[in-house]
Amino acid sequence: MGCLNPAEQAKIILRSRISTPSFVFSFFSQSPDSNHSKLKYIISSSVTEACNNSVLLLGPRGCGKVAVLEIVLEELLKEHPDMISVIRLNGLLHCDNNCALKEIARQLCLEHHLMFSKMASYDDNSQFLLSMLRECGLAHKTIVFVLDEFDLFTQGKQRLLYSLLDAMQSITSQAVVVGVSCRLDADQLLEKRVRSRFSHRKLLFLPPSREDLQRLVEHILLLPTDSSLPNDYVAAFNAKLLNILADEKFKGIIDTLCYSDSSVGYLLRFLFSAICHMDMNSGFLSVENFKSALPSIQRQPKLEALKDCSVLELYILVCMKRLEVKELELCNFNSIMKEYKSIHDTFQTSDYYARNVCLRAFEHLLERALISFEDNKGHGQSTEFRPVKLLISWHELHQGLKSHRSCPVRSIFQKSKI
Amino acid sequence: MIETPKMKKSNRTPKKKQPISSPDRVIEPLTPQTSTPTTNLRRSLRLTSASPQPSPAPSRLKSSPRSGRKTSKSYKNAAPHSPTTISITPASPQPTESGKKRKSQDKQAGSIEKRRVLRSDKCTSASNKGKKRVYYRKVIYDGGEFSAGDDVYVKRREDGSSDDEDPEVEECRACFKPAGKRIMIECDDCLNGFHLTCLKPPLKEVPEGDWICNYCEARKSGKILEFPEPPKGKKRARTAREKLLSSDLWAVRIESLWKEVDGSYWCRARWYIIPEETAVGRQPHNLRRELYRTNDFADIEMESIIRHCYVMSPKEFSKAVNDGDDVFLCEYEYDIQWHSFKRIAEIDKNEDDGEGADTDDDWNSCDESDSVSEEDIEYDDESKINLLPQTSPAHPVAANSRKGRIFGLQRIGARKIPEHVRCHKQTDLEKAKATLLLTTLPKSLPCRDKEMDEITTFIKGAICDEQCLGRCLYIHGVPGTGKTMSVLAVMRNLKSEVDAGSIRPYCFVEINGLKLASPENIYSVIYEGLSGHRVGWKKALHFLNERFSDENKRGKDIRPCILLIDELDLLVTRNQSVLYNILDWPNKPNSKLIVIGIANTMDLPEKLLPRISSRMGIQRLCFGPYNYQQLQEIILSRLKGIDAFEKLAIEFASRKVAAVSGDARRALEICRRAAELADYRAKKSPLSSTDGKIMVGMADVESAIKEMFQAPHIQVIRSSSKLSKIFLAAMVHELYKTGMAETTFEKLAMTVSCFCSSNGEMVPGYDTLLKVGCKLGNAEYYCVRLAQGTNCRNCSSTIPGESITKMRLSIRVHAYHRSMAIIYINGGHELHMTLTTNIK
Repeated sequence: MGCLNPAEQAKIILRSRISTPSFVFSFFSQSPDSNHSKLKYIISSSVTEACNNSVLLLGPRGCGKVAVLEIVLEELLKEHPDMISVIRLNGLLHCDNNCALKEIARQLCLEHHLMFSKMASYDDNSQFLLSMLRECGLAHKTIVFVLDEFDLFTQGKQRLLYSLLDAMQSITSQAVVVGVSCRLDADQLLEKRVRSRFSHRKLLFLPPSREDLQRLVEHILLLPTDSSLPNDYVAAFNAKLLNILADEKFKGIIDTLCYSDSSVGYLLRFLFSAICHMDMNSGFLSVENFKSALPSIQRQPKLEALKDCSVLELYILVCMKRLEVKELELCNFNSIMKEYKSIHDTFQTSDYYARNVCLRAFEHLLERALISFEDNKGHGQSTEFRPVKLLISWHELHQGLKSHRSCPVRSIFQKSKI
Repeated sequence: MIETPKMKKSNRTPKKKQPISSPDRVIEPLTPQTSTPTTNLRRSLRLTSASPQPSPAPSRLKSSPRSGRKTSKSYKNAAPHSPTTISITPASPQPTESGKKRKSQDKQAGSIEKRRVLRSDKCTSASNKGKKRVYYRKVIYDGGEFSAGDDVYVKRREDGSSDDEDPEVEECRACFKPAGKRIMIECDDCLNGFHLTCLKPPLKEVPEGDWICNYCEARKSGKILEFPEPPKGKKRARTAREKLLSSDLWAVRIESLWKEVDGSYWCRARWYIIPEETAVGRQPHNLRRELYRTNDFADIEMESIIRHCYVMSPKEFSKAVNDGDDVFLCEYEYDIQWHSFKRIAEIDKNEDDGEGADTDDDWNSCDESDSVSEEDIEYDDESKINLLPQTSPAHPVAANSRKGRIFGLQRIGARKIPEHVRCHKQTDLEKAKATLLLTTLPKSLPCRDKEMDEITTFIKGAICDEQCLGRCLYIHGVPGTGKTMSVLAVMRNLKSEVDAGSIRPYCFVEINGLKLASPENIYSVIYEGLSGHRVGWKKALHFLNERFSDENKRGKDIRPCILLIDELDLLVTRNQSVLYNILDWPNKPNSKLIVIGIANTMDLPEKLLPRISSRMGIQRLCFGPYNYQQLQEIILSRLKGIDAFEKLAIEFASRKVAAVSGDARRALEICRRAAELADYRAKKSPLSSTDGKIMVGMADVESAIKEMFQAPHIQVIRSSSKLSKIFLAAMVHELYKTGMAETTFEKLAMTVSCFCSSNGEMVPGYDTLLKVGCKLGNAEYYCVRLAQGTNCRNCSSTIPGESITKMRLSIRVHAYHRSMAIIYINGGHELHMTLTTNIK
């Protein structure tokens, strides 16, 4: 690679920091009230005191449930080497009992260097799980089951959860079940007999407050003083950054960011794009970077798609809108063409295109998913005859037309609004 | 009772005719084993080296890295296979001594009680010259009575001539005189004994707690204080314990005893090992008198046995304060192949005790030495294959398949015994936490005496009845009221009665409906429980039908069978044939089947077809939810002797649970959680060390209850972003404005922008709004069904709040039609208020 200039290096450092959740969330792990220390206490107590526990980590997406769990597990694996085995399941992948058990068996075999057979039946696997729980319990080993998307495991008879939680009722086993879910009422989804066996520890992950966010930004963006970067550069960078952070303008940007979504994940995406906007010549971050990053993550894809449409495509959209206003049940390309013709006749517009040109524009709209077919049937039919529907609302269409430069359709649209 | 047919079956395999000592046996496929499931690891291990044939196993084991002692052991292991080499066996004692012993052995030959003699007509292929072994349960040898299961000291081959005499009595370390009448005290560090009067200063009585002698204390403080030299001419005699702990002796556990053809007595022994000889060496937390049980066996001659020692489990050990010098502690099993430790399960022990019926088969199988030996070698092979899977890829045995489970799991074990297990003195809170665990079985089940009596009388009546026709009990009750536990407790009591001989033996099969892959599988599970064979469910059904309903094909003497089916409701299939079959069998004459079904719903029989409910619903037993006094009693009985809870706190928890569900598991969990919270507080706050004790108070219980029963929606809403608050408010607003249960996304967006502009907020773009809406839908504030093309999500949910009727908000975006969502709203006046105030 050769030697990079400090700005490049700083950029790499910051980016890699943002993309490692363990760094970001270690910021929250200090205080005793934090979820990190609570979770660590729960898991480590079941490692050292040989008890079984089941915990639910709840909270909206992007608040670091899995990240904190991973940090905790990593620390515990370091503290108690060779005593914890972690089994990870995901509700999206293993919600079927059979394959979940198979996956558990596979991971257990992998962990303990045992041979695994794909052919083993459900019974075999569940027997295997039970005897593994027993053996591991006897050897003072704890098995941690991480069930991501916990709510999806609650579909059906919940055999998996039942057998896991019931196995934990025996003396020799030593296991923790950690459920991760963004459904806040995940424990209510459990069946009665499963819920009775669940030990109902819950940790709530909330989006950080405004002040925490500010400090988190500082934690992420301040360059470390003990890195390979030249010291004066680091000092200058940090001083400049602190200036920015204290700036009212920057606070305004953060406010707009939090206005729609205050989770950590969203903030990280924002910071990442801000860093990507960093000026490499000066080598420092500026408020402008943040400002330009804001629209880049709060995009309005439909409006942008409308902005790029040709005039003919806009015509077609407006026609469909008019048909909708007229409350026609179904519309397809032919009825749209009829409407198009009638518009042309009433408003005497200058641009009237041939049918095949219109068909091309119509297909283009389909590709951009601004309109779509009403149903999935009738693949055999040609596109002209299949019923279509509009995927954007009146409001959006209106905005899109307004922002379109020199659009002749606008007046027509307004007149057709009624 | 399970083993016998299996053994016979494998005996019948054609392989038996092959020459036994063929060398290629080692790599032979393991077919007979694979077809016969062996369930017990211990037993199979015991068989492993019981083979009288020179099996290649022990010599191969030599190559594994082992200490010198173990190599000699494996040499020993091979010794009994060839009686002619006895003279050079390492275990051969001094000539003088052996002569003495032979004499005494002859004398006592008459007093040996015979247990079982081999029937020579059975082993047809016994080509060896009348190879007969006589097995005994108890042998009186050289003045000592030895029986299987005893722990003894064993001489080491190179055991020096110096220590011929073995002092049974320990001498005082200071005056070198045996204890006599004076009381001796043992140092807890160096294990030396002292007379109380020889100490400086002398002690009047044995002090409480740990005591350390002056010498050890001096050593600890850095000084060197030599033990007094023994008087000239008198050598200090070491006790057997000292020799064992300095690895001059061995300790073994006798597994079985027999007399060889040549009249010498042998026993099969399981080695104990001292911590220094393990791979990790002595660890700081090892106790002085700690031994490890190994999984290594050897046949040793009785002559090398010195006398009894007593190896105890930690529980017994803590009680055995005054039991002399030969007491040892053993908590772990040490795997010599993998150098790993494993706790000895307490269940293991129970099995040993309750094995009475099974041991017969064990003895049997040992008797038929020829046929068994064949199997033994195969066992050896199999275990070796498991040990070295990469060297013999021809026979991969997957651990999660049936046969692999037996051997594959051996290797799981701790490399080291973790320190925290021993080192740590438990505080009251930790003790409380441990006893409140759901897994700890209470000694007694309070508050369920009446129900247990009823179950006992039911089972007893059923067993004693010759016909036992139509015996079926349905037990119902909400979860966590002790249904399964009571039945199992009754079965345990009955088992002890069976052992005492007051009841006829019976079989007991326990099945959990939720753990079956499909309802039909129950047949094969039952059949496996009864016969030990595993077959497909159709075949199993056939066999079971034969056994229970077909009079002619049934064997003559069948024990009554008790079938416990937990979560019975899971067995309901569409035509309910499974339940019908199972419940029909008890009604067949002479079926001797008793079914106990457990489920939650009270009216399960009524929901079933009449022909089933008439068979099941006759005898019922209801486990009502516990009331608060009962819950309190349950908790208090567990917490007896532990002072960690405030009285009121327990009452609060039990009242709360009794009001909600009466679920004992919940009550225990709440208390445990409260104890955890208190413990957490104690550990995290720096002051805890000074102010001493932290009791579990009301506040802890309260927060535990809150954690358990409350959904956290309000907190999350409070901390969510402003736009999502506005979104929810708009949703509620929309509901009140229209009075309709549904709204479209477009209308909602309009309301949101109205809200925003009137409150001076930024009006969000539609796409942002949609994103926020999706995110809220993800957390199930309302239910979204976005039907974009084929992608359709459908679920339903609510926000439970303080008062469910007021706060209920179940909004469902019901059909996505032209980028619009139709949303149902059901209520939420207060939420509306909080949200609108939150926005400002």
